[in-house]
Amino acid sequence: MISVLTWGAAALAVCGWVSVCALAVRRFVLVRLERRRGKAELRLRRVALALLEGESVDLTDLNGDDADVLATVLGRFGRNLRGATTARIASFFERQGEVYRQLEALGSRRPWRRATAAFVLGDMGSRQGIASLRAALDDPDLAVRSAAARSLGRLGEPTAVEPLVQALAERRIPRSVAGQALLAIGEPALPVLRNLVRAPEPEARGLAVELVGLLGAASDGAELVGRLRDSSAEVRANAAHALGKLGAEEGAAELRGALGDRIPFVRAAVARALGVVGDADVVPELLQVAREDSFDPARAAAGAAARLDPAAVRYAAAVPGAGPHLHEAADLVEMAG
Amino acid sequence: MTVSSRERPLILIADDDPDILELVGFRLERAGYEIMRATDGEEALQLISERVPDLAVLDVMMPKVTGYEVTRRLRDNEATNGVPVILLTARVQEADVERGFEVGADDYLKKPFSPQELRARVQAILGRR
Amino acid sequence: MIHGLFHVMSIIALVYFVVLNGTYLVFTGVAWRGITQHRRERRYAALEEAFASPLTPPISILLPAYNEEAGIVQSVHSLLALRYPSLEVVVVSDGSTDSTVERLREAFDLVPVRKALRAGIETAPVLATYASRLKPSLTVIEKENGGKADALNCGVNAARHAYVCAIDADALLEEDALLRVAKPIVDDPERVVATGGIVRIVNGCSVDHGRVVSVGLPTSSIATMQVVEYLRAFLVGRVGWSRLGLLLIISGAFGVFRRSLVEAVGGWSTTTVGEDVELVLRLHRHLKERGEEYRIEFVADPVCWTECPETLRVLSRQRRRWQRGLAEALWRHRRLVGNPRYGLLGMFALPYFLLFELLGPVIQLLGLPIVIVAFAVDSVSLGFLVAFLLMSLFLAVLLSVSALALEEVSFRRHASGREAARLLAYAVLENFGYRQINDVWRLQALVDLARGKTKWGEMPRRGLGLPNEAPSRS
Repeated sequence: MISVLTWGAAALAVCGWVSVCALAVRRFVLVRLERRRGKAELRLRRVALALLEGESVDLTDLNGDDADVLATVLGRFGRNLRGATTARIASFFERQGEVYRQLEALGSRRPWRRATAAFVLGDMGSRQGIASLRAALDDPDLAVRSAAARSLGRLGEPTAVEPLVQALAERRIPRSVAGQALLAIGEPALPVLRNLVRAPEPEARGLAVELVGLLGAASDGAELVGRLRDSSAEVRANAAHALGKLGAEEGAAELRGALGDRIPFVRAAVARALGVVGDADVVPELLQVAREDSFDPARAAAGAAARLDPAAVRYAAAVPGAGPHLHEAADLVEMAG
Repeated sequence: MTVSSRERPLILIADDDPDILELVGFRLERAGYEIMRATDGEEALQLISERVPDLAVLDVMMPKVTGYEVTRRLRDNEATNGVPVILLTARVQEADVERGFEVGADDYLKKPFSPQELRARVQAILGRR
Repeated sequence: MIHGLFHVMSIIALVYFVVLNGTYLVFTGVAWRGITQHRRERRYAALEEAFASPLTPPISILLPAYNEEAGIVQSVHSLLALRYPSLEVVVVSDGSTDSTVERLREAFDLVPVRKALRAGIETAPVLATYASRLKPSLTVIEKENGGKADALNCGVNAARHAYVCAIDADALLEEDALLRVAKPIVDDPERVVATGGIVRIVNGCSVDHGRVVSVGLPTSSIATMQVVEYLRAFLVGRVGWSRLGLLLIISGAFGVFRRSLVEAVGGWSTTTVGEDVELVLRLHRHLKERGEEYRIEFVADPVCWTECPETLRVLSRQRRRWQRGLAEALWRHRRLVGNPRYGLLGMFALPYFLLFELLGPVIQLLGLPIVIVAFAVDSVSLGFLVAFLLMSLFLAVLLSVSALALEEVSFRRHASGREAARLLAYAVLENFGYRQINDVWRLQALVDLARGKTKWGEMPRRGLGLPNEAPSRS
């Protein structure tokens, strides 16, 4: 028993020291490699920039390492750009066979390789990747699905909108990832999003409503107003929020009605939206909410009233029993001068 | 200092991301402008104090001094009051845009951006002078 | 008879070290896998998108401050400048007797405003609340002294957003810190209720405008030892525990929590010095008792920098305080220890902490002398002594070194070869003296606790001040 332990520990110790030496060597090698890559990058940046300008560049004598560096630089540049330049980047990667390689990697057995490939395909900007990326939304690994979603967003692919929302509704991708991808697609996503506002799943409706609020126009107000009576509280709150963001004044009447919603965070969202689209008529109701409701809705209502009618808030705050939220709102109005 | 007293208009670019500095600088140099580069707000202000540019392209989120702050100081100073400012940022929510215009910026460009669009806006602003 | 006694004690000591270092080895393996995976994940982390996204949840940063006039303005500036889409900063001056609030008033054009505070957690009375004309997202609260936990609770009452980030006044955050630490929450907001990040030592680094611009090793040996220790504690220990779903400690220096949950459990405890450990334990307990699915995550990226003690005296105070905090937290939740109702937490994590962290110093200090004496009186063989030395000292050295290796492979903040070599030397040296002194202090803390001593010396604050919490062995 003792000797087993002794030998075991000794073996571990030896392994440990061997690996430390290996790491030291590895570090040395890595540092040198990095320095070389740094120099290569400096050289190849000009090439990359020329490519972006659409100038023809002779790439035939590019060795493997340099090609790698160039690809990385272009990918990084591409992340910052939009428009015709990205099409040039995409065709570069297509010509070099990079896109093909990454599409192959999407079939790898290791999840992290698939995820990296899915991510990089977005940076490369090639439309050849779209079908595979859509398929990757069903990958067993979450990271792969998220990376695929983000890349579809970067590629701005309108046909991906519905699969993305579907993936969200089935909880295959996180809300933030789906949302960000859809925002990246931007306006072309609106028609599908507008339809999805009436989707059967509440998560889908919720996200669709939120995004219409961020991407849409005031004319979407009518549809969103309908969502103020949705069965899901989340959707109702998002609808109120969206109406505020869009500045849709036709929503004001319905919002006013929604001030009496059962759920506090919905009332808060409604109050906030009224601060943007409401008018002087709704101020007395807002003041009442500010006096009587629970913390979050009361605070939101006080702030909203202050936006619509600062004088009324100052006046109301001076009355006994006004409550802390009106006091705060009045002080803030005072501070703004 | 006006455009007419210089051969080529001088543009200041400030961003802590070296890729942006490279991309924007290259594109504008190709378009025929002279470029000054800064990696943070402090450096930007220092460069401006040495040579007043004809236009400034500023990233909003920079260490030490932000793009908003640089713009405000430009507006507060008589010598640099007239320098047009384009703000570059990854973040575009109304509050940010409002704030940009509040401090006196002339235009606002969102990242990822189109280099052609940037050049067009630069030309539009400088062409007016 | 003595023979037999020494024999038994030696065996106990050996078994102790085998289990301790064995589990630690397992942790190292777990952490290694975790960090390699994390490194890969960083390639597709998409942080820029999160920064730009209006969907990233807003965070309220809570900054408790006591007599921080020296650095408070800079701290607030750098917090407000963090890369995060939407945040607010709530500074709570905990009865400061210096010009902390005055400096803030000047720098940020503060105006007294009757801010509405939730009645969520009871705190010491609030004296005044201010808003800033310059920075609408800044709130300053002045209250009667009640301690750091009390100040944080006041911040929780004042916070506007759904998540709060508790931070020390002297901690320096990296620009992306909030984005990185919030990422697990952004990806899974329903399950992830709290996250913590790595705390690194700033002594020896150069700091500009509240940000670390270059990383360097401290000159003093005490501080360098702590660098190694923190690496082992955070990189191996916390990552390891987090991957097992058993993260017990989110550093008091930097952590993000769901606000409503903190309020629901009653906030940070004002009656213990280990309020950070105690809160996380209480969160675990609360959620497990409700049978809710949850995760408390640890993010391995270096995000937060604090100053560490440079003298033995201050270090000893810090370590004794931490040991006492751990003891208090474990005592308070002793029902969970060995309790299958609390799953792995009760059956594995807590007993581990009890045995190896709390009571460990006793065996660790006495182990080697006992075995040596046992060998001298022929109670144990030479083979046994050798095995013991290997299991206790040499394996421990291996573990310190492997923590360094992990850092080397993953983040490589200490870039120069000379620094890496120096760290390596200290990783070895750490086990021949530093650890033993630490054990003495921790033993002292337990003795004091047993004797009912309750007074604590004050922690001196230099420019940056000192952290409230020390790393543990794991």
